[in-house]
Amino acid sequence: MRKFDIIIIGGGHNGLVAASVLSKKGNKVLVIEKNEQLGGLSNYVDSLSYISEEVLKELNIKIEKDINENYVSALSDDLYHTVLKINGNKNIEILQTNASESDQVNFIKLINKYDLFARTLRSFMFKKPPRVKSGSRSDIWQLVSMGLKVRLLGKKNMRELLRVIGLNIADDLEDNITDNILKGLLSNEAVIGTNLGARSPGSILNLLYNQATNNSIFRINKYNTNSFLNSIREICKKNNVEIETNKKVEKINISNQNVNSVLLDTGEEIQTSSIISNVDPKTTYLKLVGAANLDTDFIRRTKNYRTKGTVAKIHIDFENEIKINNLDTKYLSGKFVYAPDIKYIEHAFNDNKYNKLSSNPCLEFYINKNKLTANIYFIPYLINSAHDKKKILSNVKLILEKFVTENQILSSTIETPNDIEDKYNISGGHWSHGDMEIDQLLMMRPFYGSSQYSTPINGLYLCSAGTHPGGGVTGINGINAAKQLLKDNRNG
Amino acid sequence: MDNSLSFTKPLLETPFHERTYEACYNNDWYRWAGYKIAREYSNTELEYTAMRNTAGVLDITPMHKYDIKGADAIKFVDKLVTRNASEIKSGQVMYIIWCNEDGNVIDDGTVFCFDSNHLRIFCAERNLNWFSDTAIGFDVEVEDVSDTIAALAFQGPLSCKILNLLNVKNIENLRPFYFDDFDLNGCKVTISRTGFSGDLGYEIWCKNEDAISVWDSLFKFNRDYKVLPAGMNALEMVRVEAGFIQPNADFMSAEQALRPNRMRNPFELGMGWLVDLNKNYFTGKKNLVNLKKKTLTKKLVGLDIQGDKPAIGSVLYDKNKKEIGIVTAGMWSPSLKSNIAFGYVDKDHMKIGSKVFAEIYHPEELEYKKIWAECSVVKKQFFNPPRRHKVPAEI
Repeated sequence: MRKFDIIIIGGGHNGLVAASVLSKKGNKVLVIEKNEQLGGLSNYVDSLSYISEEVLKELNIKIEKDINENYVSALSDDLYHTVLKINGNKNIEILQTNASESDQVNFIKLINKYDLFARTLRSFMFKKPPRVKSGSRSDIWQLVSMGLKVRLLGKKNMRELLRVIGLNIADDLEDNITDNILKGLLSNEAVIGTNLGARSPGSILNLLYNQATNNSIFRINKYNTNSFLNSIREICKKNNVEIETNKKVEKINISNQNVNSVLLDTGEEIQTSSIISNVDPKTTYLKLVGAANLDTDFIRRTKNYRTKGTVAKIHIDFENEIKINNLDTKYLSGKFVYAPDIKYIEHAFNDNKYNKLSSNPCLEFYINKNKLTANIYFIPYLINSAHDKKKILSNVKLILEKFVTENQILSSTIETPNDIEDKYNISGGHWSHGDMEIDQLLMMRPFYGSSQYSTPINGLYLCSAGTHPGGGVTGINGINAAKQLLKDNRNG
Repeated sequence: MDNSLSFTKPLLETPFHERTYEACYNNDWYRWAGYKIAREYSNTELEYTAMRNTAGVLDITPMHKYDIKGADAIKFVDKLVTRNASEIKSGQVMYIIWCNEDGNVIDDGTVFCFDSNHLRIFCAERNLNWFSDTAIGFDVEVEDVSDTIAALAFQGPLSCKILNLLNVKNIENLRPFYFDDFDLNGCKVTISRTGFSGDLGYEIWCKNEDAISVWDSLFKFNRDYKVLPAGMNALEMVRVEAGFIQPNADFMSAEQALRPNRMRNPFELGMGWLVDLNKNYFTGKKNLVNLKKKTLTKKLVGLDIQGDKPAIGSVLYDKNKKEIGIVTAGMWSPSLKSNIAFGYVDKDHMKIGSKVFAEIYHPEELEYKKIWAECSVVKKQFFNPPRRHKVPAEI
């Protein structure tokens, strides 16, 4: 039987990051990936929106940024589109809009407010989250510093943060601006990839959280995915990490609450004393570990962890190069949002509540010559059935026809949350391996009893997006999990 | 206020209701899991005396009954309970408790093994939610069959004799904690040698439609033996004498307690003998391993109290009048002629023979008599006659 110090289940970006950190310390590491291609869900996005400085520094790598100037265009049915130019994370300029002068001023003010709050939250993102009642000094210190950071915002801003943090995005927008397109544009950022509508409490928190992890409110910094994956793979190669693709872990064998070995679908058993699972928490616990090794209360929390995916992806090939009606071609390199107002988003969200397709979905898309890639929501994950993809396509077509004329669709492929589940082995096909809502964040991510990357099973750790700080290609989950494992091994 | 619009669901009647209603002279009903059960038929002491000297019949139909069916049935029970249930045989009954992840007791009950694919758990509180969540990942189906089975407890020294007179074949050879199918007066019934009285006794499980016939046959020889229906008050007396504890009376079920420090682990309840830490993983094992290493801070013990006034709800003190605990159940035991109780004591007074004091408030004709009574800590099982365990049972 082969033997490794550490086995990493899943060669997603977090698994690879964890492997590079661990192998640097001289551990014999094996990464097992189910698919041919490494990178997991980071391949799903065409370009990465953000990789944190902390990760780049820790791994000592550099990644190319594709474009410096970014545009975000909010499409409008009356073809008076709104275009923003984004330089870095703070400098946002409105290039064209139908909104009034005061709306424009208030919109920028609102964005600056969210940016301030997001920067405060950002300081919590990159450390392991403190446990509330552990009594450990580092946990207490971190809790105190979290409180202090919020207090240092000043009286007025702290009050404002505490006022809006549980609020829904629609309320805050309606208090400040009147233009529907601008409202829809910001709401899009608050609800995409979640089970929240613009009027659901917690949508502002989700917006701030996204902004904090991505360092950009519109998630539009473009880093090259391949460049990132290649550089971590190189580190792994240099440190003799063994990577095996096209192999699936069927079971984690456990004896006496200690990790013992993993069983592959090839029938091979590989011995180890430590495992980091890059698989989502639900699959890890219910399928790999098995309910027989866990307490009923814990199983209950695992079962109740919300992982319903809501976003589908469509790739469309057009006959000719794509042009958007009534929009300058120089903005085509940017991001397009079709979420024309709050009511529209809410109606799309209503269908999601009853596990139905939104017949008028919201879109977020990118254009590359004659190719168009769009995130469509809300397309809920279905447990025992499948969506009619033709219907999804025709819904999307109806929207695109308003803006793209004199062009024919040649072919298209659609990935629903069910497809994401099958392809990447993520239960529910959720972008972030679980809803990013207040009861599933920080020390409560994924849930009580499983925080700080550790699990009830000795030697088993989690590093997927189901852990703090959640989804997005940050790599933080991998680093923190690896550090926690090293710390526990040091302490015996 | 106009009450005509208020709606309350009436209490359900058990299949024995036709008979219990006739017998319940006091019309004093107790609410148990949505059913009407007699608290006292005519006189609690008389009913108690029947159970201790001839036999008493208790309607225990509201008991919750959960069928566990499937290939993993035994594995499921083994994961659920603290005892090693992996080697349970068909026809066997096991007394079980189950805990949550913190190692606090949720409930106790019995499990009947029909065969390796079919077990049935009996318990006093609702547990379907807990069982269903425990069943995740096992090839079993948990079904609540509470309403489909009528049940009587037939408890007392003459119980075997009367069943024998009723031509229940071979009943005397049924061992304690075993069950089998029998023919009782033409009805197919399941009889187990189990019970809550701590004496020789049986529990009879039958179909709802056979209920009246089974009830009537138990009273067939009443001219000579004077079997009485017994209510919940009488049951409370015999169970304290027998040393059986009850959830939400002697301890709070971990699923129902609101205050975390009110939950109790098996060691605190004196049920450490039911916890097997060497068996396969079960819910709570991790914490029970740690708890076993720790010294207990409180424990439920039996108390033998000076005097004859029951120490119901009393506070317990040490000799320096420092509060150390509380009495959860107390009574004057007519059989033992002593004043007994269950109570929690602190770590300095857990040993058998320790002396503690109870402050008893005894109502006497509209005035309380305050009694400062010395108690000695004893084993919880006050009453345990040899006939309870004897095989073959006395006919």
